[in-house]
Amino acid sequence: MSRVLNLIAIAIANSVRGIRGATTTSLMAVLTISIVLVLVGSASLLVDNMTGILDEFGAELQLVAYLENDVSKQAQRELVEHVSAAPGVDRVEFVSKDEALVRFEELAGGAELLAGLDENPLPASLEIHLRPEARNADAIAILDAALDGLPGIDELAHGQEWIEGYGQAVSMVRAGALVLSMVLGLAALLIVANTIRLALYARRDELEILALVGASRTFVRVPFMMEGIFQGLLGGLFALLLIYGAFELALPQVRIGLELVLGRADLHFFSTAESISLVVLGAGLGLLGAITALVGGRT
Amino acid sequence: MRRRTLTAAGEPPVRMYHVSKSYMAGQYALHDVSLEVRRGEFIFLTGASGAGKTTLLELIFAEETPSEGQILVLGRNVARLGAGAIPALRRRVGVVFQDFKLLAERTIEENVRLALDVVGTPRRDARSRVFAMLKSVGLQHRRFHHPLSLSGGEQQRVALARALVNEPEILLADEPTGNLDPELTIEIMDLIVKASTRGTTVIVATHDHSLIERYGKRVLRLEGGRIAEDIPAATPTAGAMA
Repeated sequence: MSRVLNLIAIAIANSVRGIRGATTTSLMAVLTISIVLVLVGSASLLVDNMTGILDEFGAELQLVAYLENDVSKQAQRELVEHVSAAPGVDRVEFVSKDEALVRFEELAGGAELLAGLDENPLPASLEIHLRPEARNADAIAILDAALDGLPGIDELAHGQEWIEGYGQAVSMVRAGALVLSMVLGLAALLIVANTIRLALYARRDELEILALVGASRTFVRVPFMMEGIFQGLLGGLFALLLIYGAFELALPQVRIGLELVLGRADLHFFSTAESISLVVLGAGLGLLGAITALVGGRT
Repeated sequence: MRRRTLTAAGEPPVRMYHVSKSYMAGQYALHDVSLEVRRGEFIFLTGASGAGKTTLLELIFAEETPSEGQILVLGRNVARLGAGAIPALRRRVGVVFQDFKLLAERTIEENVRLALDVVGTPRRDARSRVFAMLKSVGLQHRRFHHPLSLSGGEQQRVALARALVNEPEILLADEPTGNLDPELTIEIMDLIVKASTRGTTVIVATHDHSLIERYGKRVLRLEGGRIAEDIPAATPTAGAMA
């Protein structure tokens, strides 16, 4: 056991020596990881916020079933129950003729428009709110078919184009972020691997001598892996700080812009778990880069 | 705890059976060499440049594998040794080169300690063993210096200390005095002979005939990759007699 602890202590000392002995190369690796993580992290933050905004809009997506005039109260209650049980429905809200009139007057800014009419021309309706997974064209078509022809429903209204556009936007943003992260991740891996390969080359004399005195592969490799992890951690921390700085700096302007265009701007930074994940991702990248360099260099 | 392949007390530490090494088809660096080295024996390996001296040493410390034949080193068949088993063998074989192979950015103590670090020797134990080893080569007072501040002879003494600090069963030296003047040559050779008298099997590759004459040990003369002459020692060494 003490032998293993000694080997670990020696590996740590060797990795510290390696970093101190090649400060420029180590800084290059840290910087490379930082740059990649800034790009990946920013893209992820952007996608996260965009998805959040799109989800908020999605929550407002609803179908409206206008009811016939002669539907009894009992039939209305049964309709609400029936529609609530339909596929993809989150909840159903009943809007009576009177409530519809109040809403119209609020929207129109007064009762003048309907003043000349003897009776309330607006129908009662059911506002059908959808579950997040049903906010797409296919699910709506299924729901449409399930509600079609139900006695008491006069007309079913939904913004099909809007819904399709929403679904496409979410898919595109997610796919784009995935592709971007994969490409950047691969690029980072190769750059980090090359940086560590340079460090290996710079220390080839040491590696030769270690092999001569009977150092095992693990003894030679572990310090380089530790260096990779350490550089990755530093790179991750640095990236997190940079993204946070940029986020705080850009937030007021972006918020104003979004409020102007969308009427809302609920933007958020990474959660603690996400922040830790970014730093751990850096460490993983450093480790993977080191392994790639070591395996490629047949050390 | 060290794990070692047990070899019978009288079993030769190095045995070669019809060993050949070829880097290019039809061209042999070493050709059909059969050899037995007894425990504690001191051997001079001599011959012109390209005769196969370095190749023979490289085969013994598993830097190379034979193209033909079998080599048994400390009971292990080098031809069949997996990459993972080579380090264990090398911890039992000390090697010294003409160009010292010291790390310039590390102190003398750290250079010697490398051989102990790779087996996880506790730091305090390693320090005292390195001190004792450096003392035996007369360099304990220079242990915190760096190699480049030392003379060639001193650097070779450090390399020798590194090769011996792990108490290897075999010591291989490839032209260890090639870069040294005659006075320092004798100094280094005396230290190597001293190691041999403690039971370490020693094989020294050299061009220097004055050394061969001076020490009167067994001589293997290589020519074109073959053993041209095997001259027994004038006075058998203590270890070899056992």
